[in-house]
Amino acid sequence: MSVAQALFLIFFGAAAVWFGIVVFRTHSMVRSAIALLFSQTAVGAMFLVMQAEFLGVLQIMMMATEMSVMAIFMVMFMMDPGGMGKMDMTHQKRLSLWAGGIGLVAALAVIWGAGWTGPVPPVPGAAEQAAALGRELLGRSMFIFEAAALMILTAMVAATMVAIAPREEDD
Amino acid sequence: MIPELMIALSIGAALFGIGLYGALSQTNLVMIIMGVELVLSAALLNMVAFWRYLHPDVTAAKMYVLIVMAVMAVEMTVGFGIAVARFRSRGSVEMEEARELKG
Repeated sequence: MSVAQALFLIFFGAAAVWFGIVVFRTHSMVRSAIALLFSQTAVGAMFLVMQAEFLGVLQIMMMATEMSVMAIFMVMFMMDPGGMGKMDMTHQKRLSLWAGGIGLVAALAVIWGAGWTGPVPPVPGAAEQAAALGRELLGRSMFIFEAAALMILTAMVAATMVAIAPREEDD
Repeated sequence: MIPELMIALSIGAALFGIGLYGALSQTNLVMIIMGVELVLSAALLNMVAFWRYLHPDVTAAKMYVLIVMAVMAVEMTVGFGIAVARFRSRGSVEMEEARELKG
Protein backbone atom coordinates (compact mmCIF):
# COMPACT_ATOMS: atom_id res chain seq x y z
CA MET A 1 0.00 0.00 0.00
CA SER A 2 2.80 2.36 0.94
CA VAL A 3 4.66 2.03 -2.39
CA ALA A 4 1.43 2.37 -4.39
CA GLN A 5 0.45 5.38 -2.32
CA ALA A 6 3.85 7.02 -2.90
CA LEU A 7 3.65 6.37 -6.66
CA PHE A 8 0.15 7.82 -6.94
CA LEU A 9 1.19 10.82 -4.84
CA ILE A 10 4.10 11.45 -7.21
CA PHE A 11 1.86 11.07 -10.28
CA PHE A 12 -0.92 13.39 -9.10
CA GLY A 13 1.61 15.76 -7.49
CA ALA A 14 3.51 16.08 -10.77
CA ALA A 15 0.19 16.78 -12.54
CA ALA A 16 -0.72 19.46 -9.95
CA VAL A 17 2.67 21.18 -10.33
CA TRP A 18 2.68 20.92 -14.14
CA PHE A 19 -0.80 22.42 -14.52
CA GLY A 20 0.14 25.05 -11.90
CA ILE A 21 3.03 26.11 -14.17
CA VAL A 22 0.76 26.08 -17.25
CA VAL A 23 -1.58 28.59 -15.50
CA PHE A 24 1.08 31.30 -15.82
CA ARG A 25 2.68 30.17 -19.08
CA THR A 26 -0.26 30.25 -21.48
CA HIS A 27 -1.47 33.46 -23.14
CA SER A 28 -5.09 32.30 -23.10
CA MET A 29 -6.81 33.24 -19.84
CA VAL A 30 -9.53 30.63 -20.32
CA ARG A 31 -6.81 27.99 -20.68
CA SER A 32 -5.28 29.36 -17.47
CA ALA A 33 -8.58 28.82 -15.62
CA ILE A 34 -8.88 25.27 -16.99
CA ALA A 35 -5.23 24.50 -16.09
CA LEU A 36 -5.90 25.74 -12.55
CA LEU A 37 -8.99 23.51 -12.42
CA PHE A 38 -6.84 20.48 -13.41
CA SER A 39 -4.18 21.44 -10.87
CA GLN A 40 -6.75 21.71 -8.06
CA THR A 41 -8.39 18.44 -9.17
CA ALA A 42 -4.99 16.73 -8.97
CA VAL A 43 -4.63 18.10 -5.42
CA GLY A 44 -8.10 16.64 -4.67
CA ALA A 45 -6.93 13.30 -6.11
CA MET A 46 -3.92 13.47 -3.75
CA PHE A 47 -6.38 13.85 -0.85
CA LEU A 48 -8.13 10.68 -2.06
CA VAL A 49 -4.78 8.86 -2.24
CA MET A 50 -4.11 9.98 1.35
CA GLN A 51 -7.45 8.39 2.32
CA ALA A 52 -9.16 11.71 3.11
CA GLU A 53 -12.15 10.74 0.93
CA PHE A 54 -14.60 13.39 2.11
CA LEU A 55 -12.12 16.24 1.72
CA GLY A 56 -10.94 14.93 -1.67
CA VAL A 57 -14.42 14.84 -3.15
CA LEU A 58 -15.23 18.22 -1.58
CA GLN A 59 -12.06 19.76 -3.06
CA ILE A 60 -12.82 18.47 -6.58
CA MET A 61 -16.49 19.60 -6.47
CA MET A 62 -15.69 23.01 -5.01
CA MET A 63 -12.84 23.73 -7.41
CA ALA A 64 -14.88 22.68 -10.45
CA THR A 65 -17.50 25.27 -9.50
CA GLU A 66 -14.95 27.95 -8.57
CA MET A 67 -12.97 27.59 -11.77
CA SER A 68 -16.11 27.65 -13.93
CA VAL A 69 -17.02 30.98 -12.32
CA MET A 70 -13.45 32.15 -12.83
CA ALA A 71 -13.54 31.26 -16.54
CA ILE A 72 -16.76 33.29 -16.93
CA PHE A 73 -15.11 36.29 -15.24
CA MET A 74 -12.10 35.87 -17.54
CA VAL A 75 -14.30 36.17 -20.62
CA MET A 76 -16.15 39.14 -19.08
CA PHE A 77 -13.17 41.20 -17.99
CA MET A 78 -10.20 40.33 -20.13
CA MET A 79 -9.28 42.34 -23.19
CA ASP A 80 -8.04 39.17 -24.91
CA PRO A 81 -9.44 36.09 -23.12
CA GLY A 82 -8.48 33.73 -25.96
CA GLY A 83 -4.86 34.91 -25.96
CA MET A 84 -4.88 35.50 -29.73
CA GLY A 85 -2.94 38.77 -29.44
CA LYS A 86 -0.16 37.16 -27.31
CA MET A 87 -0.31 40.12 -24.89
CA ASP A 88 2.24 40.11 -22.10
CA MET A 89 0.40 40.73 -18.83
CA THR A 90 3.30 40.36 -16.43
CA HIS A 91 5.53 42.76 -14.57
CA GLN A 92 8.51 42.53 -12.17
CA LYS A 93 9.22 39.05 -13.53
CA ARG A 94 12.73 38.75 -12.11
CA LEU A 95 11.64 39.78 -8.61
CA SER A 96 8.71 37.34 -8.77
CA LEU A 97 10.94 34.48 -9.92
CA TRP A 98 13.35 35.16 -7.08
CA ALA A 99 10.52 35.39 -4.52
CA GLY A 100 8.92 32.16 -5.77
CA GLY A 101 12.29 30.39 -5.90
CA ILE A 102 13.32 31.52 -2.41
CA GLY A 103 9.89 30.49 -1.05
CA LEU A 104 10.26 27.06 -2.66
CA VAL A 105 13.84 26.50 -1.43
CA ALA A 106 13.02 27.70 2.11
CA ALA A 107 9.98 25.41 2.32
CA LEU A 108 11.99 22.43 0.98
CA ALA A 109 14.78 23.14 3.48
CA VAL A 110 12.30 23.09 6.37
CA ILE A 111 10.62 19.91 5.07
CA TRP A 112 13.81 17.92 4.51
CA GLY A 113 15.51 19.31 7.60
CA ALA A 114 12.68 18.60 10.02
CA GLY A 115 13.14 14.82 9.97
CA TRP A 116 9.66 13.54 10.71
CA THR A 117 9.93 9.87 11.52
CA GLY A 118 7.49 6.92 11.37
CA PRO A 119 5.75 4.63 11.97
CA VAL A 120 2.64 5.93 10.22
CA PRO A 121 -0.41 5.37 12.46
CA PRO A 122 -3.41 3.51 10.94
CA VAL A 123 -6.11 5.74 9.47
CA PRO A 124 -9.82 5.29 10.37
CA GLY A 125 -12.28 4.16 7.65
CA ALA A 126 -14.10 6.71 5.46
CA ALA A 127 -17.45 6.43 7.32
CA GLU A 128 -15.73 6.66 10.67
CA GLN A 129 -13.79 9.75 9.51
CA ALA A 130 -16.97 11.50 8.32
CA ALA A 131 -18.74 10.72 11.60
CA ALA A 132 -15.75 12.00 13.62
CA LEU A 133 -15.63 15.20 11.52
CA GLY A 134 -19.36 15.76 12.10
CA ARG A 135 -18.92 15.32 15.84
CA GLU A 136 -15.95 17.72 15.76
CA LEU A 137 -17.85 20.40 13.81
CA LEU A 138 -20.95 20.21 15.98
CA GLY A 139 -19.04 19.82 19.23
CA ARG A 140 -15.66 21.19 20.21
CA SER A 141 -15.07 23.27 17.05
CA MET A 142 -18.61 24.57 16.62
CA PHE A 143 -17.66 28.18 17.38
CA ILE A 144 -14.89 28.18 14.73
CA PHE A 145 -17.22 26.52 12.22
CA GLU A 146 -19.94 29.10 12.87
CA ALA A 147 -17.35 31.89 12.59
CA ALA A 148 -16.41 30.54 9.12
CA ALA A 149 -20.09 30.53 8.10
CA LEU A 150 -20.43 34.14 9.31
CA MET A 151 -17.26 35.06 7.39
CA ILE A 152 -18.73 33.68 4.15
CA LEU A 153 -22.03 35.50 4.71
CA THR A 154 -20.21 38.79 5.41
CA ALA A 155 -18.04 38.34 2.31
CA MET A 156 -21.13 37.65 0.16
CA VAL A 157 -22.88 40.79 1.40
CA ALA A 158 -19.70 42.91 1.12
CA ALA A 159 -18.90 41.65 -2.41
CA THR A 160 -22.48 42.35 -3.55
CA MET A 161 -22.38 45.85 -2.06
CA VAL A 162 -19.02 46.61 -3.72
CA ALA A 163 -20.07 45.21 -7.10
CA ILE A 164 -23.59 46.67 -7.27
CA ALA A 165 -24.05 49.66 -9.59
CA PRO A 166 -24.54 52.99 -7.78
CA ARG A 167 -28.03 54.48 -8.08
CA GLU A 168 -28.52 57.72 -10.00
CA GLU A 169 -29.20 59.87 -6.88
CA ASP A 170 -25.94 58.62 -5.27
CA ASP A 171 -23.79 59.98 -8.12
CA MET B 1 11.64 9.57 7.57
CA ILE B 2 8.15 9.10 6.12
CA PRO B 3 8.59 9.14 2.29
CA GLU B 4 4.90 9.79 1.45
CA LEU B 5 4.84 12.79 3.82
CA MET B 6 8.00 14.18 2.24
CA ILE B 7 6.54 13.77 -1.27
CA ALA B 8 3.28 15.50 -0.35
CA LEU B 9 5.02 18.36 1.45
CA SER B 10 7.53 18.85 -1.39
CA ILE B 11 4.67 19.13 -3.88
CA GLY B 12 3.02 21.61 -1.51
CA ALA B 13 6.26 23.63 -1.48
CA ALA B 14 6.34 23.62 -5.32
CA LEU B 15 2.71 24.81 -5.52
CA PHE B 16 3.51 27.53 -2.97
CA GLY B 17 6.49 28.74 -5.04
CA ILE B 18 4.48 28.77 -8.29
CA GLY B 19 1.56 30.57 -6.61
CA LEU B 20 3.86 33.19 -5.10
CA TYR B 21 5.46 33.80 -8.50
CA GLY B 22 2.02 34.16 -10.11
CA ALA B 23 0.61 36.48 -7.46
CA LEU B 24 3.63 38.80 -7.75
CA SER B 25 4.21 38.70 -11.52
CA GLN B 26 0.70 39.06 -12.97
CA THR B 27 -0.84 42.43 -13.74
CA ASN B 28 -4.43 41.22 -14.05
CA LEU B 29 -6.52 40.99 -10.88
CA VAL B 30 -8.10 37.65 -11.86
CA MET B 31 -4.67 36.11 -12.55
CA ILE B 32 -3.40 37.40 -9.18
CA ILE B 33 -6.37 35.63 -7.53
CA MET B 34 -5.29 32.43 -9.33
CA GLY B 35 -1.82 32.73 -7.78
CA VAL B 36 -3.32 33.13 -4.30
CA GLU B 37 -5.53 30.07 -4.95
CA LEU B 38 -2.41 27.99 -5.68
CA VAL B 39 -0.75 29.17 -2.45
CA LEU B 40 -3.88 28.24 -0.46
CA SER B 41 -4.10 24.82 -2.13
CA ALA B 42 -0.48 24.22 -1.03
CA ALA B 43 -1.59 24.98 2.54
CA LEU B 44 -4.49 22.52 2.16
CA LEU B 45 -2.16 19.82 0.89
CA ASN B 46 0.22 20.31 3.82
CA MET B 47 -2.62 20.08 6.35
CA VAL B 48 -4.03 16.86 4.87
CA ALA B 49 -0.53 15.32 4.67
CA PHE B 50 0.23 16.17 8.32
CA TRP B 51 -3.16 14.76 9.34
CA ARG B 52 -2.67 11.53 7.41
CA TYR B 53 0.93 10.70 8.23
CA LEU B 54 1.40 12.16 11.72
CA HIS B 55 -1.98 12.40 13.52
CA PRO B 56 -4.84 10.60 11.71
CA ASP B 57 -6.71 10.42 15.01
CA VAL B 58 -6.94 14.24 15.37
CA THR B 59 -10.08 15.41 13.54
CA ALA B 60 -9.42 19.10 14.27
CA ALA B 61 -6.84 19.08 11.44
CA LYS B 62 -9.56 18.26 8.90
CA MET B 63 -11.75 20.98 10.36
CA TYR B 64 -9.01 23.50 9.57
CA VAL B 65 -8.95 22.21 5.99
CA LEU B 66 -12.63 23.16 5.76
CA ILE B 67 -11.79 26.62 7.17
CA VAL B 68 -9.07 27.15 4.53
CA MET B 69 -11.54 26.07 1.82
CA ALA B 70 -13.94 28.71 3.17
CA VAL B 71 -11.11 31.28 3.04
CA MET B 72 -10.49 30.35 -0.62
CA ALA B 73 -14.16 30.93 -1.45
CA VAL B 74 -14.20 34.25 0.45
CA GLU B 75 -10.99 35.42 -1.26
CA MET B 76 -12.53 34.73 -4.67
CA THR B 77 -15.86 36.38 -3.78
CA VAL B 78 -14.28 39.58 -2.50
CA GLY B 79 -11.71 39.61 -5.32
CA PHE B 80 -14.41 39.34 -7.98
CA GLY B 81 -16.54 41.95 -6.20
CA ILE B 82 -13.61 44.36 -6.41
CA ALA B 83 -13.02 43.32 -10.05
CA VAL B 84 -16.63 44.12 -10.97
CA ALA B 85 -16.47 47.52 -9.23
CA ARG B 86 -13.12 48.34 -10.83
CA PHE B 87 -14.25 47.26 -14.31
CA ARG B 88 -17.42 49.34 -13.98
CA SER B 89 -15.57 52.50 -12.96
CA ARG B 90 -12.36 52.20 -15.06
CA GLY B 91 -13.15 49.61 -17.72
CA SER B 92 -10.17 47.43 -16.79
CA VAL B 93 -8.92 45.11 -14.07
CA GLU B 94 -5.24 45.72 -14.85
CA MET B 95 -3.46 46.41 -11.58
CA GLU B 96 -0.76 48.44 -13.36
CA GLU B 97 -3.48 51.08 -13.86
CA ALA B 98 -4.57 50.98 -10.21
CA ARG B 99 -1.72 52.96 -8.68
CA GLU B 100 -4.16 55.22 -6.80
CA LEU B 101 -4.95 52.23 -4.54
CA LYS B 102 -1.53 52.77 -2.96
CA GLY B 103 -3.09 55.73 -1.15
